[in-house]
Formats: sequence, C-alpha cells, structure tokens
Amino acid sequence: MIGAFTSELVKLRRRGVLLWGLGGGLLFTVLATVFTIERAVNTLAPGFHGHGFRVTIAELSRPDGLVHGVVDVSNLVGIVALALFAGATATEFSHGTLRNLLIRQPRRAQLLSGKFLALALFIGLAVVLAIAVASGLAFALAPGKGITTSAWTSSSGLNDLGQAILHVYLACVGYGIFGTALAVLLRSPGVAIALGVAWVLPIEAIITGAIWSGGNRWLPGELLSALAHGGNSSSSYAHALVTLAVYAVLLSAGTLFLFQRRDA
Amino acid sequence: MSSIEQANREDPQSAPKGSPAGDPAVLTSALSKRYGQRLAVDRIDIELPAGVVCGFVGPNGAGKTTTIQMLLGLVRPTSGTAWVLGQPTSDPASYLPRVGALVESPAFYPTLTGRRNLEVLTRLGRLNSGRVEEVLRLVELIDRADDLVRAYSLGMKQRLGVAAALLPEPELVILDEPANGLDPAGIREIRRLLRSLADRGVTVFVSSHLLAEIEAICDHVVMIHQGRIVFQGSMENLLAAQHSDLIAVPEHGHDLDRLAALAAREGKMARVDGEAVRVQAPGDWAAEFNRQAMAAGITLRGLQSTRASLEEAFFAVTEHDGAEREEDAS
Repeated sequence: MIGAFTSELVKLRRRGVLLWGLGGGLLFTVLATVFTIERAVNTLAPGFHGHGFRVTIAELSRPDGLVHGVVDVSNLVGIVALALFAGATATEFSHGTLRNLLIRQPRRAQLLSGKFLALALFIGLAVVLAIAVASGLAFALAPGKGITTSAWTSSSGLNDLGQAILHVYLACVGYGIFGTALAVLLRSPGVAIALGVAWVLPIEAIITGAIWSGGNRWLPGELLSALAHGGNSSSSYAHALVTLAVYAVLLSAGTLFLFQRRDA
Repeated sequence: MSSIEQANREDPQSAPKGSPAGDPAVLTSALSKRYGQRLAVDRIDIELPAGVVCGFVGPNGAGKTTTIQMLLGLVRPTSGTAWVLGQPTSDPASYLPRVGALVESPAFYPTLTGRRNLEVLTRLGRLNSGRVEEVLRLVELIDRADDLVRAYSLGMKQRLGVAAALLPEPELVILDEPANGLDPAGIREIRRLLRSLADRGVTVFVSSHLLAEIEAICDHVVMIHQGRIVFQGSMENLLAAQHSDLIAVPEHGHDLDRLAALAAREGKMARVDGEAVRVQAPGDWAAEFNRQAMAAGITLRGLQSTRASLEEAFFAVTEHDGAEREEDAS
C-alpha cells in the first residue's frame, strides 16, 4: 500500500490537480470569508435570524467568528473533494492507465487504498491551506468592519478553529469516499462528477423538500453538511458521524468488491 | 496428412518441460473468454518455452489482446486455466513482479513528464529508482525524458511503454503491438531491443499483425484466428512445412511454355508467371531442373528458390483452419 500511496503523490503534483484541488477550496473559503465580513451588520432586520453570509458584527466577534464563513461553504469545499477523488480514480479507467498500475500492483485492494490515502492527505492539506489563508484574510479585514478579533485567538477560539478544520476535513473525506465509489462504478470522470454533484445538490434538496422531509437526518449529503458544521438543527454531530461511518464502511466494502471483481 | 497438419503435430505441444530452457514461461489450458454472446478466446492451449522470442500473430479482433490481458490477470477467464512463470494467473501478485508488459496502446498521464510517468510505476512496484534512467537510455528517450508526455509522438509513447515494461528487469516481457506508430528506424530499434533481451535470457512474447516484423525477430510463433490457436511451434518448422517455389527465367521468352511443361513432366506444379516459370518444388531440386533445361536446349538467365513467408504461412494455416471449421459445422 505504501507504493500505491507514494506513486499517487507523484501524480498529485500535476499542475491541473494542484490548481483545482488546492485552488478550488481556497477560492470558496476566501470568497466566503470576504463576503461574510464585508456584509456583516450591527443588527439584523426584525424577523431575520441570520444565515449564510448575513450575520452581525457581534456574532463574528465571538470565538467561532473566525471560521464562520468557511463552515458556511464547507459543502462547496466538499464538492471539490468529491470531484478530486472521482476524477483521479475514474481517469485511471478512462485513460487506460489502470492497466499499467495493476501490472505493477496486482493487489487491487492495496492499490485503491493507497491511492485513497494519498488523496485524503492531499485534501487535508487543501483544507488546512484554505482555512489558514481565509483566517489570515479575516484578521486583515475584521478591524475595518469593527469586528474585534481578541476572542479568535483565545483558547476557545483556537479550539473552534481546530474543530472546524477537523469537521470540514472529515466531511471532505466522506465526499471523497462517495466520489471514489462513483468513479469505480461509472469509470468515467465526467459522468461520476456530474452524478455526484447532482446528487448532493439538487437531488437531495428535492427529496428532502418534496418527498421525504425526514431525509435530512439520513441522506448522505445532508449528513455531511451536518458533520462539517459540527452538527445542525436536523442532525447532531454524533448522529451524523455514526451514520456516515456506517455508510462509509458499506460504500467502501462495495467499492473494493467491485474494483477487485471487474475486468480492467 | 498435409504439411500444415504435420507441422502442427510435430512442434507445438511437445515443447519444453524438462528441456534445457526449463519449464514453460506461459502455459494455458482450455483458456476461454466470452463477452456476452461473443467468444473472444476459445479454449486455447499455449505452451511457450522459456527463453524464446515468440510472436503472437493474428488479424485484428482474433483474440490476441484478450489473451494477453488474461495472462496478466487484468481480465478474468470465463473458463480454463493459465500459468505464467509457473504461477497461476488467478494469483497475479505471485508472478507479475517478474513480468514487464505493454498492453494495447500505451497509456500515460499526459500532463506528467516521461520520467515522472515511469517514477509512478517505479514507486508503485517498489522498484529500484535508478531503473528509470537506465530504461530511458535503453529506449533512447533520455533527451526528452523531462518533456510532458502530451508532447510525445505516438512512436515516443510506444517507446516509453516499452521502457515501462522493462522497469522491473523482467524474466518475461509481454508486448502488445509494440511497433504500432513507429517509423522504420523505430521498428528496427525495437527489433534490436527484443533480440538483446532474448540474448540475456528474457522470454519475449510479442503480439503483432505485422507479420514481416514477427518473422524477422521471432524464433517461435503462436497463431490465433477467430479466438482459436491454429498453429504454435518454431518459426523454422512452420516455414519449412510450407511449399517453396523455384523461379526460373529462360533467356528467350518463347521457351516459357516448354520450360513449364518440362517441370510438369517431373510431377511438379508449374505455371508461367510473367517472364518466369514458377515451379512448386524444394530448393535442392534447382540443380536438377537447371540440368534438364540445359538438356532440352533452354538456357536459363535466372534461377532462384523462394521460401514461403510468414504471411503466406499464416494464410495457408488459416485457410486450412477455416476448411476444418466448415467440415465441423457440416
């Protein structure tokens, strides 16, 4: 598995992967941070409880204010992760490079596991980089809007920052498992990414909005969103984590089974 | 018994166990692969002696690539068994570290350099990283090693594919159409490379539909046609089993018919072919034919013996196979 892991790291140095993998997450988190701080107001209009990028200066001055914008776009960062995992895996099928890989590493479970771990490391670096840059930007923009940043560097603030990184990262790994499964099933990067994004965004929204209101406690996209936020009004963090762990085990087992059985 | 049947019976299945070359490098038993209704490979038995350069020939769609994919554990056989370097293909990890292969068209990461592409495979197989430089030199790509693969010509990609196959210092090299896209100089280079591998004791199994190339480099041949093996054995025996021709050119054109009749009187098939008479006869009958022509007052200005080419042998064998299938069907 070490060989599969280190060989995947070589492939991750490609300019396109660096641009989309690191740049995609960075773009979303930076934009979210800028919008959140620039649109912060002293008081919200009556009846408006605040969501998305519309929050009060007082809220942003709290310990978790630093990562407020980042957590709000965690779904988009997750979609970058889904596209990265699905693209990196399905391209091996569509380009025919999988045959070369299987000749040098015929133990298919080790090949896929090593590849997944390398991608997981890469997306971890992407999350840390994105949050680090977004945080730096937040510190630079906050004084101009009258947001006090002393709580951000308190122990509570640093704890919130660490938790945000962990939660967003775990959600990204979840999106990655989903993307890898679609890639092995469909063997086409375009189709795998399109179907994954379609499922997570409009399809789940339609299901929970029009068909099954309880779906926001059980559908994977909704649960990944809850996980990234450290729990939300639909699912507690523990519920999201445990349910997603079960999904991850089942999906990983199915993916490995399919990858091992199929002709290359 | 026809010469083809004789060649088939004498050579193929008798080879190697206990021979100086050792156990077969590849052995298959009733190996088959079915895709839906189509039987791509039909109960083939191959026995490839170790240490030979073996051509795997057949037209496009004959089942060459599918067979190679089964030997490499990439495709699961529908039925039958196969062993490579003494290990079952159901456990590819037991023999693939000793095998180098190029399957179908060479596939690489276009936005990585040639060197990085080989590094991916070297790391994956936990191979000596110094091999990358060695194989790049061997296939004469060292000057372009740091260019992106997307800038490579098809011939360069093909050479990179051969380099990738040689990375593990293999005992067996399996190459699927390695001459595709190569210019004549590149083809000659591949030929030289394959011979040098054989000289080092590496078994080479190379598929191609370029029969002249196979004839030039291989000492053993396996022929596949419509998913079935129609011949396997030494190239020499295959070609020796084919009819050879004598081509005689008389000094005067008006002697052509007399010359043909002379050969026919000796029980040889003869026909006028342009300015020459083509006689189906072994090369050592040339002297006798020359004497008889002289005695009949015919002066020859040319007399040569031609050996059947692999291409002619292939068509003879496949025609024979087709006739057998028709007989089976009726």
